[in-house]
Amino acid sequence: MSKQLGFLHNSEKCVGCRGCEMACKNEYQIDAAPQWRKVFQLHEEDFSLPTRMFFSMACNHCAHPECLRVCPVEAYTKRDDGIVVHDPNRCIGCRLCTMACPYDRPQINSAKKKVEKCNLCYQRIDNGEQPACVAACIPGALELVEINDILDQKTGVLKTLPGLPSPKLTTPSIRFIGPKQGKQIRRD
Amino acid sequence: MGDWEWPLILFTVLGQIAIGIIVMLWWLDRDRDHLDTQLFKQGVYVSGGLLILALLASLFHLGHPEVAYRALAHLGSSWLSREILLFLLTFLAWINLFWLSRRQTSSHPIGADAATITTAEIAAEGQQSGNRSLGLGITSVLGLLGIASSAMIYVLPRVPAWNNVGPVLFFLLTTGLLGALVTLVLGRKLLHPTQKKLLLQCSLGCTIASLLFYVIYASMLSASMEGATSLNFLLSSPLFWARALLGWFAPLLLLVSMLKNSQVAKTNLILTLTLFSVLGEVLGRALFYLSATGIQITALF
Repeated sequence: MSKQLGFLHNSEKCVGCRGCEMACKNEYQIDAAPQWRKVFQLHEEDFSLPTRMFFSMACNHCAHPECLRVCPVEAYTKRDDGIVVHDPNRCIGCRLCTMACPYDRPQINSAKKKVEKCNLCYQRIDNGEQPACVAACIPGALELVEINDILDQKTGVLKTLPGLPSPKLTTPSIRFIGPKQGKQIRRD
Repeated sequence: MGDWEWPLILFTVLGQIAIGIIVMLWWLDRDRDHLDTQLFKQGVYVSGGLLILALLASLFHLGHPEVAYRALAHLGSSWLSREILLFLLTFLAWINLFWLSRRQTSSHPIGADAATITTAEIAAEGQQSGNRSLGLGITSVLGLLGIASSAMIYVLPRVPAWNNVGPVLFFLLTTGLLGALVTLVLGRKLLHPTQKKLLLQCSLGCTIASLLFYVIYASMLSASMEGATSLNFLLSSPLFWARALLGWFAPLLLLVSMLKNSQVAKTNLILTLTLFSVLGEVLGRALFYLSATGIQITALF
């Protein structure tokens, strides 16, 4: 594997508009139930700010993907750029990958009885375009980045956020810029 | 929390009974000629029937059972692929046992005139007995490896309640317990009292081990938040207490009383004990799937 592509999500910029979710649905005409990408709201107690904070998550194209390890039909492959691609034509709907992923990102499509997930718009990337969710993000909170030491050493770049499973489980290829702690002035 | 995974409950429990019977027949056959030919045949037929039912039940778990053969594609890292391969090999080994059981002639009746038994007949019987023991041994080993692979599927870092030695241990104990009891039911009129006693002792050992390991396992669960959720679910579920009563306490009482009072020949007791244990194990397996709590995103939706 020559590099590892992934997402950088900036919770300071994200307004929770769910445009990324919709762009993903539009691009692939996904059925109603599976959500390849989903916007979550952070618990207020984790960031004591008088405002709602969000993060957006799809498949994290982990460095050590559990879905790929457990899949009995080799429906998952990891490309040279680190993207974990799921081939629905090989899937037999055993749902083992849905049990193994701590982020619940491979999801069963109950109509097709097969699992689906984000493939990081690899066909768009191969054409030099941005993934649909990144291209649709109005505040520019979601970016496609190369996950490497240079990124991890930047100030403010986090490997996880409160409310997320430990990154030690699968080494997810997502980084975060968390909400900044604001100063609260109390008026009595 | 998990779901009622009926296809998986049936596949694992029926498969474990089937392989348990073969293991017990192999064990009883360790001293040549001590395994009744009729019991060998019955055991092979029943285990084969259960194995076929188990394999058929497993297909209902899949979204696309018509392409189930693809599950053999990822032997390098997927325990599910390994499980399917080992169960198919076990089935092939069972076909060999079936063929041997069809060729098996009855052992000489007790009290037969020794002078009427020729050297050639003795040699042929020895050959048959050797083939039978080898066949049972190979099927048992493949089956036990298949069961261990089944259990390893659930050893997932995401699910703390499963990510330990528990699944392997409990699956093997179910095999020993139900294998011994169903063999006892099949051979209730064919087994010697000493063989019945051995099978009852094996059942007692498996039941005690299952109970003790479960207590240790439950105490380990509280180490993580997800494990504690599984434990709370178990302790507050009426199904768990029904499982404890049917699968541990009632069988323990019956087994101790049967062994103590030498009531090894009482058919009604054997049938009741087996029924309780099967129900207890089915409930236990259902709870295994129902209580599974995975590490997940806890942020708000």
